[in-house]
Amino acid sequence: MSVASAIRIRDAAELPGKRDEDWRWTDLRGLIREVPPASAPTGAVGAGPFDALADEVVVVANGEGAAHVSVEPHGKRIVALRIVSRGDGSHAARVSIDVEADAKLRLLESYEGQGGYLSQTQLVFSLGAGAQVERIVLASDDAEGVTVSQAEVQLAAGAEFGQTVVTAGARRQRIETTVHHPGGHAALRLDGVYLLADKRHADLTTVVTHEGLDGVTGQLTKGVVRDQARGVFQGRIVVAEGADRTDARMGHHALILSDRAEVDAKPELEIYADDVSCAHGNTVGRLDEDALFYARQRGIPEPEARAILTEAFVGEVVDRIWFEGARDVVRAWVAARLGG
Amino acid sequence: MAAVKQTVEHVASLEKYKHGFVTDIEQDFAPKGLNADIVRFISAKKDEPEWMLQWRLDAFERWLALEEPAWAKVSFPRIDYQDSYYYAAPKAKEGPKSLDEVDPDLLETYKKLGIPLKEQEVLAGVQGAPRYAVDAVFDSVSVVTTFKKELAQAGVIFCSMSEAIREHGDLVRRYLGSVVPVSDNYFACLNSAVFSDGSFVYVPPGVRCPMELSTYFRINAENSGQFERTLIVADKGAYVSYLEGCTAPMRDENQLHAAVVELVALDDAEIKYSTVQNWYPGDPETGKGGIYNFVTKRADCRGDRSKVSWTQVETGSSITWKYPSCVLRGNESSGEFYSIAITNGRQQADTGTKMIHLGANTRSRIISKGISAGKSTNTYRGLVSAHPKAKGARNFTQCDSLLIGKSCAAHTVPYIEARNGQAVFEHEATTTRLSEDQLFYAMQRGLSQEEAVQLLVNGFVKDVLQELPMEFAVEAQKLVAISLEGSVG
Repeated sequence: MSVASAIRIRDAAELPGKRDEDWRWTDLRGLIREVPPASAPTGAVGAGPFDALADEVVVVANGEGAAHVSVEPHGKRIVALRIVSRGDGSHAARVSIDVEADAKLRLLESYEGQGGYLSQTQLVFSLGAGAQVERIVLASDDAEGVTVSQAEVQLAAGAEFGQTVVTAGARRQRIETTVHHPGGHAALRLDGVYLLADKRHADLTTVVTHEGLDGVTGQLTKGVVRDQARGVFQGRIVVAEGADRTDARMGHHALILSDRAEVDAKPELEIYADDVSCAHGNTVGRLDEDALFYARQRGIPEPEARAILTEAFVGEVVDRIWFEGARDVVRAWVAARLGG
Repeated sequence: MAAVKQTVEHVASLEKYKHGFVTDIEQDFAPKGLNADIVRFISAKKDEPEWMLQWRLDAFERWLALEEPAWAKVSFPRIDYQDSYYYAAPKAKEGPKSLDEVDPDLLETYKKLGIPLKEQEVLAGVQGAPRYAVDAVFDSVSVVTTFKKELAQAGVIFCSMSEAIREHGDLVRRYLGSVVPVSDNYFACLNSAVFSDGSFVYVPPGVRCPMELSTYFRINAENSGQFERTLIVADKGAYVSYLEGCTAPMRDENQLHAAVVELVALDDAEIKYSTVQNWYPGDPETGKGGIYNFVTKRADCRGDRSKVSWTQVETGSSITWKYPSCVLRGNESSGEFYSIAITNGRQQADTGTKMIHLGANTRSRIISKGISAGKSTNTYRGLVSAHPKAKGARNFTQCDSLLIGKSCAAHTVPYIEARNGQAVFEHEATTTRLSEDQLFYAMQRGLSQEEAVQLLVNGFVKDVLQELPMEFAVEAQKLVAISLEGSVG
């Protein structure tokens, strides 16, 4: 049972729903009665948000297009991967990304949607020893779109994987990352930002399994929801037996800026080894009234003060992006959404 | 890591359970198995009114349609619900009128367990020592309830559930099942059909209960389950503090304990409920035997400014499945949950709480300390939710886990659901082993390794121990030490 097979065989009964523990807050089964027909080709798709930064632009439009990105040993590449959805059909795609030993990849991934589509994207990352990958995901889906992105990451010893997902949500949206962490001083950063308005929904789900000694994981996700939007964060860190000296930290913090918005969170730790240091923190609340008062006292009008504080709140995550060019694009994208 | 290695070896060799004896006493059993006739049999044994029997039969009907829950991080072979006695009672010798007539074997049992059943014994203690009233439940029935007269003078009703159904039918009927509905979950539903006894407490408006109330549960009979039902109602402005303790003999088979506890707090009322759970945990090596502790505990803070505080020290049971919860319905009501859960040997615990914020300006606080040692599994599972009307809801949650040994596991599974912009929720969790630095520091100051470990563990659980009533805190602290014997010296 999966979203991919639901699209393939066009059977809504295959979709996960709220009775599935991992999908309890992202009910697709109850939302979609019938899987829409397969999407038609899109034609020209215009420019993407990261085109100017990349060595190469790869487009997957309505499930059609390139299926493979690879970097040879010691190579360096900056690739923009555009996942484009148009219209009201359904489509699925699978992209594999192989980064060999000591190679470096900046993957600038964008979800660009228009219409009431149902889309699923499967990404399979494989990192060689000492490889470094930074994956930036900028999701601008349609308010009517339903989209699921599922990435599976296999790290090798000494590899480094940094990820920042930035999303404005969709009608229902899930961005899921599963990481197999072999330890061996491999380092992982899994960050996220969701900025949701109207009736949009976004679900950031991560599962990290530490399978060996000396693994490091740092996670920071921040969200701002307003109107009747709903933000979901599910983070699970598993430390398998024998994966000693694991250091894993997870933080999720959300601001609810209206009376009818909702945030659901489940930060999970599953520990089978004793020599570990694991922690998670989770807060949900509103803007700090004292800080707001301070700003206004300094002559800053209230809406502006709110925008400044909210931007600073989210800015902490944006600052952690390694690639400066991508950081600037993301910062501008965030500012544009918080300004109003 | 010499300390950890030694600890692990010790844990394996030193597990002791001093309540594991069996009382040889003549008992009445219902026939083995479960069907509508058994439900009728239990009801008839208790001389219950017709409405109660119907309530039970209805629950049994619904239970047949339910499925056993499988979401908890515990594993056990399928329970054969037909291979158990649902009613076991010490044979009454024409209904004892006073304590003198109670079977001396029973009195001996409670004496061995250190539970004072004779009022004068309680009084004979040190001058000014705190007194507490006891309801002693032996397998399926309440044997004796002490201090009833004195409590009655204050207007407090404290008696066994069977007696309450007969004598205070209206009160029971009004509140029973109003917090935990009959078909709330599989085990609560089973309990509703076959519950045998338990305690009933009613504290009238404005009354502060003059002493601590307590119930002591003892499973003795072989192949039997214990299904007690407790209902505590604190009327407007009332206050009551209630303690619960439990033990069972050491046996190779698993025994089921599926209790339901319902608390109702009306306007300005406060209930403090403390549990020291020390059921037989099973054999630490093979995992054989032990109690399955599948309990539903829930408090309804129905009135404005009402308050319920749960404190639990969970050291026993082979499997614990228990989530004492608060439904914060009244405006400005508050709920607290303080928990120490210790697992050792092959124990499995999946425990935590639910704080459901429905009213405005409701507050809740969760402090959970889990310690796992040996080959055990210890899971904290909790839910904090704020509904759209719960403006100004506030929660603080802290759950810390301590791991002692290479083969144990500790999990944290919190669910947070905030449905309005005026709620503020904070949650933090850590999982670590005993800090080498702290151990080193303590030993450098002249403490032996075992003393140092004990000191650190005591410090780890201190926040919760402080919440227990004084006379229980001492016992609980000892229990923590015994449960971790070997790991804490």
